[in-house]
Amino acid sequence: MKHWKSGAAAFVAIASISVAGCSSSSEPTSSATDGSGDTLTGTVTYWHAYSADSPEVSTLEDTIIPAFEKLHPGVTVQDVPVPYDELHQKLVTAAAGEQLPDLVRADIGWVPELANLGVLEPLSDSMSDFQTLADQVYPGTLATNLWKGTYYGLPLDTNTRVTLYNADFFEKAGVQVPTTVDQLVAAAPALKAAGAYAFADNGAGGWNMLPWIWSAGGDITDPDVTKATGYLNSAASVKGVQTLVDLYNNGYMPDIILGGDGGLATSDGLATDKYATILDGPWMYPIFASQYPDFTVSASQVPAGDGGSISVVGGEDIVLTKQSQNKDAAMEFMRYLLSEDAQLAMAAVGQMPVLADLGSQLTDINPYYAQFVEQLQTAKPRPVTPAWTQIDTILQDEIRASFRGEKTVQEALDEAASQADALLAQYN
Amino acid sequence: MLPGFALYALIMLYPAVQTMLLSFRDWQIIPGTPSPWVGLDNYIRAFQDPVFVNSLVNAAAYTAFTVPLQIVIGLALAVLLDAKLPGRVAFRVLFYLPVVTSWVVVSLLFQYIFQSDDGLANHVVVDMLGLSSDNVSWFQNRWTGMFAIGVLGIWKGIGWAMLIFLAALTAVPQELKEAASLDGAGAFQRFRHVSLPAIRGALAVVFILLFIGGFNVFISVLLMTGGGPGNATQVPLTYMYQQAFKFLDFGYGSAISFSLTALVLALSALQYWWTRRRMAA
Amino acid sequence: MTDTRRRAVSLAARYLLLAAAAVVMVYPFLYMLSTSLKSRSMSLTDPTSLWPTDPTLDNYTTVLGSENFARYFLNSAAVAIVSTTLIVLLSAMMAYAFARLDWPGKRFFFTMIIVGLTIPTMMLIIPQFLLARDLHLLNSLPGLVPFYVGTALAFNTFLLAGFFEQIPFELDEAMAIDGAGPWRRFWSLAMPLSKPAIGTCVIFAFLGTWDEFAWALTVLNDVDNRTLPIAIALFQGQHSTSWGLVFAASIIAIVPVLIVYIVFQRNFVAGLTTGALKS
Repeated sequence: MKHWKSGAAAFVAIASISVAGCSSSSEPTSSATDGSGDTLTGTVTYWHAYSADSPEVSTLEDTIIPAFEKLHPGVTVQDVPVPYDELHQKLVTAAAGEQLPDLVRADIGWVPELANLGVLEPLSDSMSDFQTLADQVYPGTLATNLWKGTYYGLPLDTNTRVTLYNADFFEKAGVQVPTTVDQLVAAAPALKAAGAYAFADNGAGGWNMLPWIWSAGGDITDPDVTKATGYLNSAASVKGVQTLVDLYNNGYMPDIILGGDGGLATSDGLATDKYATILDGPWMYPIFASQYPDFTVSASQVPAGDGGSISVVGGEDIVLTKQSQNKDAAMEFMRYLLSEDAQLAMAAVGQMPVLADLGSQLTDINPYYAQFVEQLQTAKPRPVTPAWTQIDTILQDEIRASFRGEKTVQEALDEAASQADALLAQYN
Repeated sequence: MLPGFALYALIMLYPAVQTMLLSFRDWQIIPGTPSPWVGLDNYIRAFQDPVFVNSLVNAAAYTAFTVPLQIVIGLALAVLLDAKLPGRVAFRVLFYLPVVTSWVVVSLLFQYIFQSDDGLANHVVVDMLGLSSDNVSWFQNRWTGMFAIGVLGIWKGIGWAMLIFLAALTAVPQELKEAASLDGAGAFQRFRHVSLPAIRGALAVVFILLFIGGFNVFISVLLMTGGGPGNATQVPLTYMYQQAFKFLDFGYGSAISFSLTALVLALSALQYWWTRRRMAA
Repeated sequence: MTDTRRRAVSLAARYLLLAAAAVVMVYPFLYMLSTSLKSRSMSLTDPTSLWPTDPTLDNYTTVLGSENFARYFLNSAAVAIVSTTLIVLLSAMMAYAFARLDWPGKRFFFTMIIVGLTIPTMMLIIPQFLLARDLHLLNSLPGLVPFYVGTALAFNTFLLAGFFEQIPFELDEAMAIDGAGPWRRFWSLAMPLSKPAIGTCVIFAFLGTWDEFAWALTVLNDVDNRTLPIAIALFQGQHSTSWGLVFAASIIAIVPVLIVYIVFQRNFVAGLTTGALKS
């Protein structure tokens, strides 16, 4: 965190505590901090949900953490892998018992919720070089950390959904790969004749529906996230959802959109030519390579509508807890995780970096990142509010009702918007 | 007795009382945040909440469907395996396998069996039995979804019931069974007049435990349907989990769980008292 | 029909019934086994094709070779063995007191046990977490034991009480006349007579503590302290899961449970009951 000239080492631990957070001289990345003058000591605990059966955990534990500890010999980073599905519950319980770790790699949707609980350190206030770090990352990913005018975290990795398809299949079917929503709709009968659903998705929540709503020119809420009526149920939003409902009603989409997880997964359907297109993230490439070695997946931008081609931002942020006893060292580790070295190391195992100017280096690592980098230029995050989990549940239930024909899309979105308004009102 | 109960009181009852107290508050999880006292509001809200009322109906239906079948099949297997039969240990192990296999694994498996396109369940229902001309979308409807969850519950619970019945049957003296057999009593009569009276106690225990377990069904629903579509297959505990751990409304979550506890307790007390009376008679 | 023929027919019928039931019960387990022998298993395949095309033990070697797997296994075993012993001892004593002795307040305490049976433990997790913190039992393996034992007592006490009640009271009275106090009657009458019930308790208590996941995950942080179910859950990724690995690990985890089961179901032989009843 602080760049100590050699010789200042005599200050050691006492100095690092007393000067915590108010130093004006700062370095954007730790690579400039030379180990000899380092005053950081202690243990930094870090909870994350990196996959243990993939190289993610081993990259963190065998490459990134040792490299950081070499730069800061006084600091030990203790990482705790937690299964993704259980991390939220563990965080909530630990928050109630004041037993949170120093750092958490949090799903971008959790940051406003945790910030609203008051357990996160307001980084834009207490981290002297926050702005420097913030300027380096994609704005869409940074926005997920903003709650009531303050930033509570930094983006750590990002992703977005793009269109995935099988080029051979389209060629065989004699159909052009659709780049707009209208082309997709027009191509559906021919694709069906060739034996495939035009498009498949397995949910109706924000992650699934927002690319269609945004690309149609619709939205979820006003820019300040205070109300949904007039946005979520606008003509453009309805049009975006209606496109999919029509595809479904005409038999061009499988019923896995209704949930139940029973059917063929979207990725399996794509690889076996049952689904012509799906929207998915960069993690699918290694999975296809290992599960379907004979299948070559191709990617293109999300089908464009009246609002352009706009996808949804996913990924994780890194947050520092208020109760952390070792904020200096923890912040230093955050800086290191955002350094080019650490970001590129994670990129090699499928985690997309958040540093905006790494674009060209990324395609050297994995050519398939190109479509994702391009899509990220316009991709937007889901509304940043602690109420999002609940709004997402409502959205999914209501939109599914319209797929089942129990409501019109307009009725479903009217209802979702009015319920969302009530929830958003609690946080204003 | 005392150390056991003391530990039990500390680990279970004390936290239970605390949880109960927070059902009367709009409880905030972070220490130091004010949690206003709201009295019975959370309970009133629960019983006016159609999702919660429906979840109770679902749990009741699940219990009514799964408990009798687990008992009947479990008891039948136990009777068959109680006799000296070559290979019975192997069978005992096979029937117990579902009990030891983790819920995560079996829930996944049953999702595949009940998948809408060409799962095993549709194969049986449509092609073999001809009960329906079209494939059934099991998880898209409330009762077909509950049925699939119920089948899993039965499948997983049979071995459990069997084990308790086996333990109870072993206590029936072999001489009594043999004596009855010499009298020319048929297998069924032997069972009815000799074994059944001797395992009444076990039967009551299994019934109560399965009954409570039925209303507390949780993991299978969470993993198979997540309460969907649109809350149709929600059961009290999945709804409680959603409110408390997903939406952080712990006051409401604990009101849901104590409403359920009170209801199950009242019903169990009724049954317990009733079976006792019958046994005494 | 001669007696022997009738016997043969009934035996055949029994086997037929058992075999039919076994197929249904075992089928999903076979699916798990077959998936664990497949190398490409991120997506589950059609459950009707059971035999893997290229069976391989790769998943098992990966699991067994993964860091700390043996350690997690031993952690789980230690916690499960200690907890099971305590659960069975304590709940047997409690069940005996409820089923065989008369004392003031018995009804109230028994009601409290039933209440414990009906409370969903998931809802208790935050108060229990605060309790564990105040008792300094967070993040430690021995710290799991009191919570496992306390949570399992209601169920096992209830189960055993049902069995203890079945012991004829004449036996108790006979021993009481001989001057045996409740303690001796517990150890030398109730316990031996209830061997099948105790065996059942051991089997259930071991399975419950061996498999426990939610609490262990919530209170344990140190990677070295973790139990097996956490390690298995970690094989499930956020975007994809190698089911072959998960299933292989699950199958390895089932082995000790089955061993306990096979050993303790041997108690299910009419032992003392017969002789004791005669006298």
